[in-house]
Order: sequence, then structure tokens, then C-alpha cells
Amino acid sequence: MVDTTKNTQIYTTWGRKTAKPVNPNVAGKMIVKAKRPLLVIGSEILNSDHSLVEKTIAIAKKGIPVAATGHSITALVDKDIDAKYINVHSLGHFLGDEKWSGLDGQGSYDTILFLGHKKYYLDQVLSGLKNFTDLKTIAIERHFMQNATLSFGNLKPEVHLEALDEFIENL
Amino acid sequence: MSNDISAGQFSIDELENVQITIGKIVGAIEKTAEKEGLEAGPTPKPGISDLRDWDYKLLSRYQPVYTPACDQCCYCTFGKCDLGSNKEGACGINMEAHQAREFLLRVITGAAAHAGHGRHMLHHLIDLHGRDHLINVGPSNLLAPNTQAVTGIAPETLGDLEEVMDYVEEQLTQLLATIHVGQEGAAIDFESKAMHGGMLDHVGMEVSDIAQISCMGMPKSDPEAPLAEIGMGCIDSTKPVLLVIGHNVAGVTNIMDYIQDHNLEDKMELAGLCCTAIDMTRYQMEHGGKPQAKIIGSLAKELKMIRSGVPDVIVVDEQCVRADVLDEAKKLSIPVITTNDKIMYGLPNRSKDNATVIIEELSTFKEPGALILDFDLLANVSVELAIKMSKIRDEMGITALPTEEELQELSAKCVQCGACEMDCPDNLPIMAAMKAGEGKDFSNFEYLHDKCIACGRCDQACPKEIPILNMIEGASQKLIREERGFMRAGRGQISDPEIREEGVNLVLGTTPGIVAMVGCSNYPDGTKDLYTVADEMLKRNYIVLMSGCSAMDLGMYKNENGETLYEKYPAKFLAGNLINVGSCVSNAHITGTAIKVAAIFAQRKISGNYEEIADYITNRVGAVGVAWGAYSQKASSIATGCNRLGIPVVVGPHGSKYRRALIGKPYQEEDWKVYDARNGSEMPIPSSPEFLLTTAETIEELLPMLAKNCIRPSDNNMGRMIKLTHYMELSKKYLGHMPEDWYKFVRTETDLPLAKREELLKILEKDHGWEIDWKRKKILSGPTMKSDVSAQPTNVKRLCKGEC
Repeated sequence: MVDTTKNTQIYTTWGRKTAKPVNPNVAGKMIVKAKRPLLVIGSEILNSDHSLVEKTIAIAKKGIPVAATGHSITALVDKDIDAKYINVHSLGHFLGDEKWSGLDGQGSYDTILFLGHKKYYLDQVLSGLKNFTDLKTIAIERHFMQNATLSFGNLKPEVHLEALDEFIENL
Repeated sequence: MSNDISAGQFSIDELENVQITIGKIVGAIEKTAEKEGLEAGPTPKPGISDLRDWDYKLLSRYQPVYTPACDQCCYCTFGKCDLGSNKEGACGINMEAHQAREFLLRVITGAAAHAGHGRHMLHHLIDLHGRDHLINVGPSNLLAPNTQAVTGIAPETLGDLEEVMDYVEEQLTQLLATIHVGQEGAAIDFESKAMHGGMLDHVGMEVSDIAQISCMGMPKSDPEAPLAEIGMGCIDSTKPVLLVIGHNVAGVTNIMDYIQDHNLEDKMELAGLCCTAIDMTRYQMEHGGKPQAKIIGSLAKELKMIRSGVPDVIVVDEQCVRADVLDEAKKLSIPVITTNDKIMYGLPNRSKDNATVIIEELSTFKEPGALILDFDLLANVSVELAIKMSKIRDEMGITALPTEEELQELSAKCVQCGACEMDCPDNLPIMAAMKAGEGKDFSNFEYLHDKCIACGRCDQACPKEIPILNMIEGASQKLIREERGFMRAGRGQISDPEIREEGVNLVLGTTPGIVAMVGCSNYPDGTKDLYTVADEMLKRNYIVLMSGCSAMDLGMYKNENGETLYEKYPAKFLAGNLINVGSCVSNAHITGTAIKVAAIFAQRKISGNYEEIADYITNRVGAVGVAWGAYSQKASSIATGCNRLGIPVVVGPHGSKYRRALIGKPYQEEDWKVYDARNGSEMPIPSSPEFLLTTAETIEELLPMLAKNCIRPSDNNMGRMIKLTHYMELSKKYLGHMPEDWYKFVRTETDLPLAKREELLKILEKDHGWEIDWKRKKILSGPTMKSDVSAQPTNVKRLCKGEC
């Protein structure tokens, strides 16, 4: 079992309310319990060896709809998953709007999962969600995202991949 | 009697030594306008509340999106207050309003930087040329579009600009007052104030640039403005090197004159960083020629250039100058001269001292530098000191960057703790470079060179005190030697005749849009991104306007033929042309262009008629700003000035740290309606621009966004077809799919790309339930908007027929 809760050093924004460090199995169970989860993917999944693309597809195949931000959609088309492009800043805005019917017209989301984003960029998006919505946000990134509700700690790349595997097993 | 009095100075013969000065006269703007046949609009010199209704219209469609960088407010001693989850602090302000206040503070800080620059420049040029010196910006009658639209003043002389600056400064003071605890409490009114600050910024910038263009022999709307050398590789470091850094070229022109007067052009290198560098290459270039000065590049090159040890003397003026220039320079025995009271670094004021004495003291390191506010003295000292220091520093054998052996040793010191990567703003892979460096493979450092913005935070973070930035630069010397390119010197305004020629194409959409790439160098993925974006949009016939650091960095990349984009594309104001308007303050010419389209092409009244002009631009001019590397407060004020005119701006992902965006909701149909001014009826419009300020994560995401957000209600069928084609093609090319919302921009079958019309009609029928007459290949039902080129879209009810 991977412990993803050790290093929670904060490098970006500051606030009194910070994310609870979470282990992969717990994060997985949270998603299973969610009524309407959404996986938000960033373009960093396209970097290096595409291993994050594989993890993304594996998570999506568990029936979780995907909001593909940046140009991450390029790796997700024709993969038999429910993935749609949206700008992450717009998504952050719409997620807080009860009138938004979601990417598929089926209504709003309750638990938002993040993977493959630039740390500083996602941190800002999460800051908006933390301060102005009641949404539950879970960061399964390589870096501790203190503005999420729950987050992995700061991890080495190989540990991160191991943690994602464990997360997927628990979905 | 009062009707005969005009502003100015006069004497009375009977009263010896008495001079009477009459400043402003109440109603003078309206009276002058009337005399000149101009009709003053409803808001000359608007106060904070005068354009509030317009702001509210924009803000109801484009709602503020707050993403706090800090959950606390530390403004007063009631606090610190935790405003997390939109709580109220001790003074009663909530997170939303505080974030809007934070954004306002950034905007007016930026506006003040430009306005302070403008006032300094104006003082300087009035001292040299007098108040009656005529403004001359090229073949235009509309000399100062921002100034005239906002203040109602149509300036003709330098002296006329003083009143404009008085207005800007007074308004900025009023705005700054609202930041204080216990003032404004509503987020939306902080937002309106931010819009006001952004508008003022463009006036301040305009004053600064038209004054220097008029007096410093800079190119005047010249599409043939010369090419200037750019890049660290274009500097001959065997010669004495005088490096200037900043934004205000006033004192630097004296240095340039001194070099020329003493025939030193071939004997030394004058190099510049940031916008001073751009303006050096404009100085005395109105009749062509070869710019004397060379450009090193943007702020991202600042620490790299200093640490290279190449400069023999550094002269700084104002804005975008690193706070540690003196400390860094001291380590390498480079004297620093400050020349502007905004940056003095604790150095002694030597403005009244003898040049020989100053040179002697600085060259013997009795002082690390000097403050010199007298520009003639500055020229003498800086040039002669550079010549002297070159020899002294050669003899001292100063070596700045590590050798290959040292690189290997330093790499081996790395314990792979990751502190550098975590502190790096872009989390660049430094550890991997260190690991490879241990085995003498330094290629990873070269990879880092272009992506690194040289902030130096990695150096500060390293527990082993490894000079990481020096290692990156030391390992990249071969690349740096090859860093040579060309930038077209800033041409200033787009002229009135150019607007007359191109305005119709812009309003009807047959020129698909203007993409203005402006601002700083905080790029997330290196400078090549700028090249890729500009080249793609130019190939598609967009007009690409450049300014500031983006204009410089664009000139650093070459295509397979060895050409920069400035050499590849012509520089007229026509479709498919690439224009560099100039430095940071030249950004006013970009908004000025949009204002000119409304005033010259569409014949809208301009003087003091800001709302109508902004309304026209919002609905008809397909322009999008891109500040891909925006980092400064100035970038936020420039963007907000564009926003008040309805011009959307996209910033790179780092721009999310401005903590406020303005984003519309395309799914909320009631937000996308305007009036038809012909009869005041409501008409639906496309949800474009979708935002006024937002971020994009990558250029692949950015490119389709640009095409989509150039769509405007006024597009004719040909224009809409062209814009839609680019939107679809760019989405396919860079996102690998057809955009989900393309059909929402279709009003009639002639809006569809010709080559794909049948295929798209099938999709409209099958996926969206539209009714198609297949015999005539016509859409019978489905679109939510009508195609009507005679429609007069407006957001302002009073502009509708029968309302006034």
C-alpha cells in the first residue's frame, strides 16, 4: 500500500483551510460513493511517457465522465470513454453554478477529481472552488494541492504512478 | 468677457514682472470641440461612476471568477482576517469583494506605472522641445484615439497632453483611495473601478508614446520600420558592453547621442533589455537606417545576461528591472547607474558631480554604482566608464559561468531532494539535468535554457547552494551564441488611411480578426510558443499585432529558411500582416486601432463618447488580445483597458494568478442578446467573445479559442464562413476533434465552409434536428439567429432609434 500522505509542504497559495492528505484507497472509495463524479484532466498527462494517459483511460473506463482541459483531449478521442473538451477556468466557473447542466446535460456534479494539471494553475482553480462552492474536490496529482478537499502529498513520479494504480483498483 | 479667455500664460504691460497663468476653464473641452466642428459626447473626462452602467452591462454577461491567491486579508490591523469560504473580515468585507479590490489594486498599480512613465517622459520632452511642440504620429488626423474618446481632448501639442495627464492622475488617486479599509464593499463596484483604471491606463500609455514618437524621431505608422538585431548571440563581448534595462528611454537617448557624437558606434556595444531596448531601436529611425542599439531580450534574459558577466556597465531606468541588479552586478564587478527616482537602490546621488570623479570612483570600486538624474552627465559617465571597465574587467579575468569540469562537479553535489523543482514556478525537471550532468551529459540543461524564465528561485531553494541558473547558462553557451534574430522596430500607430482601407473587412469579418500578442515573458513552455501562434494565425490571414516583450521574443525564432516572422510577413495593416507597434506603452495603439475603426470607418462620434465607441467595438471588431507570458501588474491594467472596450484577452496559465477572470456562460441564453438599434428590438447573438479575460493552458488550446472569439454579430456570411472555417480547422488540428459548439454560430447555409457544406448540413440534420431543403441545399429551420447584415447590434438602449 502506498502512503501518499507524508509530504504536505505547501509551495503556492496560502489559506487556513487546507486539504486533508489522502491515501489512494480512501480516495478511490470516496469516488465510488459519489453521486455524480467528474474527472478533470490537464495537458500534463501528455508529457513524458504517456503513462498518465493510460491511468486516465483506466479511471474513465470505470464509468467516470471526463472533462478534458487544455489539449488533453487529443489523447482521449476514440478511446471509448466519455470525454469532452472544456477550458478549465470556464469549468471552474460553471461547476459553481447550479443551473449548469454539466458536460452531458445530465445535471451538476458533486465530487471532482483532478489529474495531470500544472500545479500552480490547478491551485488557482481549486482556490475558486474551495472558497465559493460546496463541491468536494480530490487531487490525485504528484503535488500536494492544498486548496483541494483531499489531496495526495508531494510524490516522486514513480510513487505517483504506483498510487494511481492503487486508486484505480479501489474504484 | 469670459468667452474670450483661453487657457495659457500672458503678461499685462502695466504690471512689471507679473505673469498670469490660466489653467483649465469650465466647459473648455465642449467649447473647443464645438469650434473644431466636433460634437462632444456625454462623458468627457469621466469620473469613477460615469461609465458604471456600461461596466455593469459587460459584467452581467461576463461574470467575475475569483480564484484567491491567499485566503486572508492583511490590509489593516483589525486583521489578519481569514476570508476563506467567502467569510467577512473584521471590517465587513467578504472574500469576493476583497478579491475584486486586489484586482483593482493590480490594475491601478500597472496604470500608475505607465502614467508615471508618461508624466516623466512628458516633463522631459517639454523641457527639451517646449509646450508648443506639435504632436506628429504619422499620416493621421486622429492623433490620440484613446485620449479623445475618454477625455474629449483632441491634443495637438505636447502642452495639450499635460491636461490629459492631470485627468489620469486625479482619477488614479480617486481609485487608489477606494482600496483603503472602510471604503467600497461591493465586488461589482470594485470591478467597475478596475475597468476605469484599465481605461485610464491606455490614456497614460498613449500620452507617453505619442510624445516620444513626436519628439524622438521614432517611426511614424511606418510599415517599413527597420529590422533590429536581437539575441544574446548578437553581442560582441570583446568590445566594451553597456547594458541598459527598463522601460523609459528618455536618458538612454542621451547615451545614444553621445556614442554617435564621439564616433563610438563600432567601438562598443549598446545593448538593451525589456522595453527600453525596443524604444532604443525606434530612436531616430523615422527615415529608416540601421538601429544602433541591439536587443538582448525580455525580462527572462535579465539575470541570464547579468550572470553571463558580459556587461561592463549597467544602466537602469524604470519598470521590470530586477530588485537585485545591484547585488548581482557587484559580484561580477559591474558598476550600476540608476537614472530614475523610481529605482535608486540606495546609491548616492551624483547628479551634480564631476564625470571624471564619478568614473574614477566607480572604476576603483569605491562605490558599486551611482544615481545620476542629469542625462548629459549620465551619457558621459556611462559610456566612458564602460570603455574603462571593459579593460579593467578583462585584466581581472572575471569568469562568470562554470566550465564543463565545474558543471560535472556541481551536478555531483546534487542530492536529488527536489527542492529546486518544487520552488521552480514551472516545476522544470532540474533533478534529471543534474543526474545526467554527473555523467557529463549537459543536454538537459540546454533543454531547460529556453523554458527557464531566470527567476533564480532554484538557487535560493537549493540546500547545497548549487548555482543552478549559472549551470543552465554555462551548459547552454553554444545555444546562446546562436541566439540571434531580428525584430521590426516599433512602428507606432495604425494610420487613418490604413483604417479606411481595412476597416470594412474587419467589421464584416472577411479579414478574420486581429490577434494582438502583447506583454511579458512568463511563458510556461518557452518562447517558441509565440512563434507558433503568430505563424499559424498569419498563415490564416489574421492581422497579428505585437508589442513589448512578446514582440522581442517573436524575433528570436527562425523558420527552416532562416527567416524570422518579421522577415517573412509584411507589416501593413492588412490581412496576413505582422505589425510591431512598439514597446509596452505602445499597447495604446492596439486599442487605438479599434477606436479608430469605430471613429473613422464607422464615423461614430469619438470625443468624450467612450460608451458608444466601446459598444461598437464589442459588437463589431473581431479582435482578441493574447498576453501569453503576462506577469506584471501592467499586464492586468492593459488587459482591463481592452476589456472595457469589449476586447477579450487570453492570458497563459500563469495569468490565473491574477486571481480574477471575466467569463460568460454560453449556456445561459438570456445573456447573449443585444438590441437592434434600428428599432430597439432584442436580437440573439453568438456567444462570442465567450469571455473578456481568461486563461488557456497550452497554445494548442489557445489557437482554436482565438479563432472562435473573433466571431462577432456583425459578420456577413462570407466573414462568418471564414471565421467558422478557421475555428473548425484549428480545433481539428490542435485538439483533434470538431468543436462541440460549431453549429451555434451558423445562421444560414452560407455561413458554412463551402468545401464541407453538404457534410455539415447532414450533421445539422442528423445530430441537431435542423430541417434542410436538400434540393436547394438550404437550411429551413434550426438556427437561433438570423443573418441580417443591416442589423445594428448594440448593448446600449439609448443608441436605438426613437430612444434619444
